[in-house]
Parts: sequence; structure tokens; C-alpha cells
Amino acid sequence: MGEKIIDVKNLVKTFGDHEVLKKIDFSVEKGEVICIIGSSGSGKSTLLRCINHLETPTSGDILFHNEVVKNTQKSLTKYRSCVGMVFQSFNLFDNMNVLENCMFGVRKVLHLSKEEARTRAITHLKEVGMAPYINARPSQLSGGQKQRVAIARGLCMNPEVLLFDEPTSALDPEMVGEVLSVMKSLASQGLTMIIVTHEMEFAKNVSTRTIFMDNGYVVEDESPEILFNHPKNERTKEFLHRYMEAKVS
Amino acid sequence: MEYGLLLSSTPGAEGSLFAWCAFLLKKYSGMFLSATWTTFYVAVIGTIIGFILGFLVGITNTIVIHKEDNPIKKVLLHILKWIVAIYSEIFRDTPMIVQGMVIYYGLRQNDVMISSVMAGILVIVLNTGAYMGETVRAGINSIDKGQEEGALAMGMSHFGAMMTIILPQAIKNVIPEMGNTFLSNLKMTSVLNVIGVSELFLMAKTAGGAYYKYYESYMVIAIIYLVLCFVINRILAFVEKKTKGRKDYELATEYITGD
Repeated sequence: MGEKIIDVKNLVKTFGDHEVLKKIDFSVEKGEVICIIGSSGSGKSTLLRCINHLETPTSGDILFHNEVVKNTQKSLTKYRSCVGMVFQSFNLFDNMNVLENCMFGVRKVLHLSKEEARTRAITHLKEVGMAPYINARPSQLSGGQKQRVAIARGLCMNPEVLLFDEPTSALDPEMVGEVLSVMKSLASQGLTMIIVTHEMEFAKNVSTRTIFMDNGYVVEDESPEILFNHPKNERTKEFLHRYMEAKVS
Repeated sequence: MEYGLLLSSTPGAEGSLFAWCAFLLKKYSGMFLSATWTTFYVAVIGTIIGFILGFLVGITNTIVIHKEDNPIKKVLLHILKWIVAIYSEIFRDTPMIVQGMVIYYGLRQNDVMISSVMAGILVIVLNTGAYMGETVRAGINSIDKGQEEGALAMGMSHFGAMMTIILPQAIKNVIPEMGNTFLSNLKMTSVLNVIGVSELFLMAKTAGGAYYKYYESYMVIAIIYLVLCFVINRILAFVEKKTKGRKDYELATEYITGD
């Protein structure tokens, strides 16, 4: 097996009285493409946000290369610069153009030279097909374009893992394809990714492991072939069944 | 004869409004000019320092105290927020003219020999700070939470994200309100006549008193205020337009691949 990058141990997250994540345990190895599926409110986004500490876990630990990620700015900065995140709402910086967005982290967090930042930005913007738009502001781009820039921005940090929080949920159907194909190509290059998604076809075809979450638990954690074709758990069956029905109608 | 000469230099009792305005303006041109300058710089200095104070107040107001923070930090933040809240409440709930009296005479009675101009600037600073604090808080809160999360997720600190991502956007949103505050301050300097700041209002009172021509004298400064504010308004509108930026962008054609 590959090298372990992230280890989630006994992760619990509560918002007030509501327990959103109930003792989650799982680990991520280098090169894995993990898709997390499940109905809305099952805790998948919260899990992803806990993994990069945008939500502080109520209890339990996140381990990065076997070291606990501490809730101090120094520790978080080091960790987050290695674990990128792509959001459902893109979160591109509105006060900067596309190029500045991509250079920002390289300059301000990694403290690399302007030339290096620019080189990386252009390289990754080319990769996602957005290089011609370096002078555009986020508000001038379509959703799909914004998300591709956001992915390039994440890649510029040379992350070990890239987290995707429903990257296509805010896009209209025509734009979903262009984002998914970028993600597919990243997967084929061996980038480690954790993707929270409702795109079942994508999960089935691209992921190396699929996790089904329900009501704050990891219900099933399997290879996509097994999870989609021979789900063991009743809840998984029900969810996939509903999904198939919805697709037909 | 001499008495007659002096009288003949004034427009006389039947002189028109315009004639008297022109007379007063000419007679007291030096005073009106220096008073205009005083009005202007008291307002400018007071507003600029007030903006800085306002930003500090606004940023303090938006600090979120986390349950996980260490206890000393939590206590200090709570105390800071309390001080800021009390300050902001007091200065927004009392009239500026009263603040001027309390600060000026209060300090002097306690042997702080502050000049009336300095006291005037201080009043404007404290007032602007209290109001701008609210504006800045609203401006910061109006920026989508995702902007900060995008920066945090890369490894930026809350403070770093505030300075590079959130404030630049918030400032842009509050520029119109900053312009309003400045205009309002320029006019509000008139209340500082009660502590003897020789700004326009006090000058009009003096000039009007000499000839018992208050209507004409205040008309003169009304026009000066109007011209001043009109010019500033145009400048502000220009600045606002500039900060909006261009609507179009240039395609970097060198990166367009033929496919």
C-alpha cells in the first residue's frame, strides 16, 4: 500500500446539540482519489472542512504524516499549504484578477519569488485551459471558468492532497463537464484527492475508493466497483436506488 | 465729513443683499480665507485620523472569539471589545457640540492646556471613529465568508486574510459612506465655534456682528460651504468611479491554444 498522508482519528463534530460527525475514522494514502457521497446533511462537507480545520473538530484528531495537526496558526499554515481546498462557491478573491489569485498563496504563504509564482500560475492555468484569462476578474467569468481557476489556484501551492467540496454543485449542467474533465485529468496524473460530490458517474469511474456517509457515520468505505454494484448496507442500497430512479425520471 | 466717508464705504442701510455680501467678503477677505482654511484642515485631519480609528474599531468589532482560544487571549479580547463598545455608544449618543464643550473645558480644568483647534480635531476624530466603526463593521460583514475561507484554506492567518482580502473589498464598499462622513464633518466643524475654533461660523458671527448684518454674513459662508462641498463631492464621485475599475479585460492571446 502507498504512504499514508492523512489520518482521521475518532473525529467528532457537534454544532450545539447537533452531532454532525460521529466518531469518523479513515485514512488517505498517496495517490488515492476518494469520493465521498451521501445525501445532503449526512456530514460529508463538514468532514471535508474538518480535514483542513476550517471547522475545528470537537474531539478526535487529524494526523498529517502521522503528526497531529494542532490548532495553532503556525501548525495550520504549514498543514494547509500542503492540503489545498476547492469550494462549491469557488471563493476566488474578488479584489484580484485570475493571475493574482493564483500567485497569491505562492507569494504570501510559501513566500516564493514573484517569477516562481507567475511561472506556476501560468503552468497550472494552462493545465485547466484558463491561461488566456489571466487579466480577467472573477466576476467576469462563468461558473465553470471560476472553478477551473480555483483548481489552478489550489495546484499552484503544489499540494500533497487537494480537497474538493462539491465542486460542481453550483454549476449549470453545461459547465459541470469542463470541471469534471479537469479533475479527471488530475486524477490520472496521480494527484491525491478527496472529493465530496453528487456526481455518481464521476465517483464510479474516477475514484479509487468511495465512501458513503449517512447521518454522521461512514457507512461504507469500498472500491467503487463494490460500492456501486454490490452495496452491502441497506442505507447505501436505498440511496443508490433513489439516485438511479431520479436519473431515469 | 470723516464720519460720512466711513459710511459711504458701506452699501448703506438700503444696500442689497448682494452688495452687503460683496462688501463683507472684501472687508474680511483675509479672515474668511483663513477661516475656510481652518474649517478645511480641521475637517481633513479629523476625518483622516477618525477613519483610522474607525477601522480599528470596526475590525475589533468583527473579531470572533473562539471557544478554543487560550483564556488570557479571550479575556483581553473581551475587555477590548467592551472598551470599544462603550466608546462607540457614548460618542454616538451625545451631540457633537456638547462633546466639544466637555472635552475642551474638561481638559483645561484638569490642566491639560489644549488649544481649541486641537480640541476641535479631537472631537471630530472621536466622533468619526465611533460612526466609521459601525460602517466598517457592516462593510466587513458584507464580504462573503467564502473570501476569508479561501485565504484560510491556503494557510493565511485571520489577520493576513483581513488585510489582503477582506479589507480591500470592504473599503471599496464603504468609500461612498467615507465621502459622506467627510462632507458631514466639514459642515459639522461649525459647531466648534462654541470652543473658539476660528472656523467659518465663528468668522461669520464676528463679521456679521460688526455691522449687524447677520443674514448677509451667514449667506457668505453658506456659499463658501456650498462651493467647498460641491467640489469635494465631484472629487469623491471621480474616486468612486475610479475604484470600480474597468468592465472589460484583455485576453492574453499568447496563451490561446489552437484547438
